[in-house]
Amino acid sequence: MIKMIVGWLKSLLHKPSKYASLRRYSIFKQLDSFELYLLNNFMHHRSFKQGELLFDVGYPLEVVFFIEKGEIEVIGKANPNGRSILSKNQWIGIMDMFYENIRSSSAKALTDVQVLAISREDLMDIIHKNPHMGLKILQGICESFSNYIFTLSDCLHTTASDVNRPADAGEGK
Amino acid sequence: MNWTKLLFYTFLVFMIVLGAFFYRWIFANLIYAVVFSYILDPFVSLFERRRIPRWLSVVFVYLIIVGVIAWFTSRFIPDLVAQGNYLFDIFTSGEQLSGKYIVSLPFVRGIYEFMQSLDARIPGLALAPKMVEILDSANSFLASIPKLLMDNYQNILSAISLIATIPLLSFFMLKDKYKLRKAAMELSTNRYFELCIILLRKIDTNVGTFLRAMLFEVIVVGFMASIAFGIVGVRNPVLIGATAGVANIIPYFGPFMGGALAALSVLIDGGPIIMIVYAALAMYIVQVIDNNIIYPVVVGGTISMHPLLVLLTVLAGGWYGGILWMLISVPLVYISYSLIKVLYTNLRDFKII
Repeated sequence: MIKMIVGWLKSLLHKPSKYASLRRYSIFKQLDSFELYLLNNFMHHRSFKQGELLFDVGYPLEVVFFIEKGEIEVIGKANPNGRSILSKNQWIGIMDMFYENIRSSSAKALTDVQVLAISREDLMDIIHKNPHMGLKILQGICESFSNYIFTLSDCLHTTASDVNRPADAGEGK
Repeated sequence: MNWTKLLFYTFLVFMIVLGAFFYRWIFANLIYAVVFSYILDPFVSLFERRRIPRWLSVVFVYLIIVGVIAWFTSRFIPDLVAQGNYLFDIFTSGEQLSGKYIVSLPFVRGIYEFMQSLDARIPGLALAPKMVEILDSANSFLASIPKLLMDNYQNILSAISLIATIPLLSFFMLKDKYKLRKAAMELSTNRYFELCIILLRKIDTNVGTFLRAMLFEVIVVGFMASIAFGIVGVRNPVLIGATAGVANIIPYFGPFMGGALAALSVLIDGGPIIMIVYAALAMYIVQVIDNNIIYPVVVGGTISMHPLLVLLTVLAGGWYGGILWMLISVPLVYISYSLIKVLYTNLRDFKII
């Protein structure tokens, strides 16, 4: 018990950065250690083999995936050219999360993939119950959306083919 | 078929069955601990959001509960003990509950006299002596309760020690809630992962909300019924009010049980018949407040079952496991029903079936 109390007092003085790796996703970059700890409580590690389907068009949207390792091919109407390849530090599902409850695209692992998965309901709960933290997350999401829109607009102006998504706007729907 | 795989899964099933057999005695405790954890979880999370470590949040919540129980004990237990002792004396003395005494009570006397008149008209019917006989046998059963308690004190002590483990189990369940959830989710394959998440959330929301709402309703109805019976002048208002609050868990029939207890108390006490009407009226007012204000706000639409189904469920629960199962059968059936509904919808949406 005393050891636990001392540990907690130490943690107050020296904020642990145990979950700092989550900051590599731009929507979480503004969160402090404690907020990352809260978020991590709801994150699940999942692994997918090469060629394995993460989800298909028309499936209910429940989980948002954050890619830790590997590449994922996303095919759907929200992607420029109808398809895009997402990799490390990008995510899938945020845009659908605010649009509808079913998947508008399908996603398949191009290589062996490791992801972090969080239920969108859990994510929305975190945002609602922790408004300060929620504001930071929503700000991050807005930034990534605006990046995505500008990138998309550039692509439309330059060429209609071979548009690769920007690393940080990694929304594959 | 991969034989190694088959062998492994057979072994796994065998070990699970063996584990279930070994731990079968503590299943009930685990379920109680889960219920306890569900009720306390929002309070723990509230502290946790204030940047207090989860384990310390659980300690804080426990301390608050101990404080509330201590206050409640010092405030209400003397009354409850006095009222319990009064009933205990009635049971043990065997005088006030003897058949002859009961049939001399104002309301029952009417029924007794009616039966006597029937006996006089129909030779060999003997309804009135039968009634006294039944009341006497009921009385001898009630009188044997204290002896039953004395004879089974070892069992009672072991039950109390088992109950004492529940807060301890809950402590770990609350502290390691997220670890347990993650461990449970790791068991699912990728194909069923999202489905499992949906189900877990549904269980979390349904069970948690329902249990907390139910507990709140029990406390509020128990409190209101105690005050109402106290105003009317029913003897033992705290005890009867508390019982009415617990019985209120059973939809439709619970309130009648509370009212019946109050009526019985008035009868035993030899009070005027009009007091039974007052007690029924008091219970009715409590029910009106409960049904129109407390239930819609707190429990909301968590239970929307047809009264006939509720009746059948309560009866089945009663047959299966007595009063405890009568209390829990309706929520249990409702939660199971809603989970099956969600499971079916999602199995179809995920194109699994």
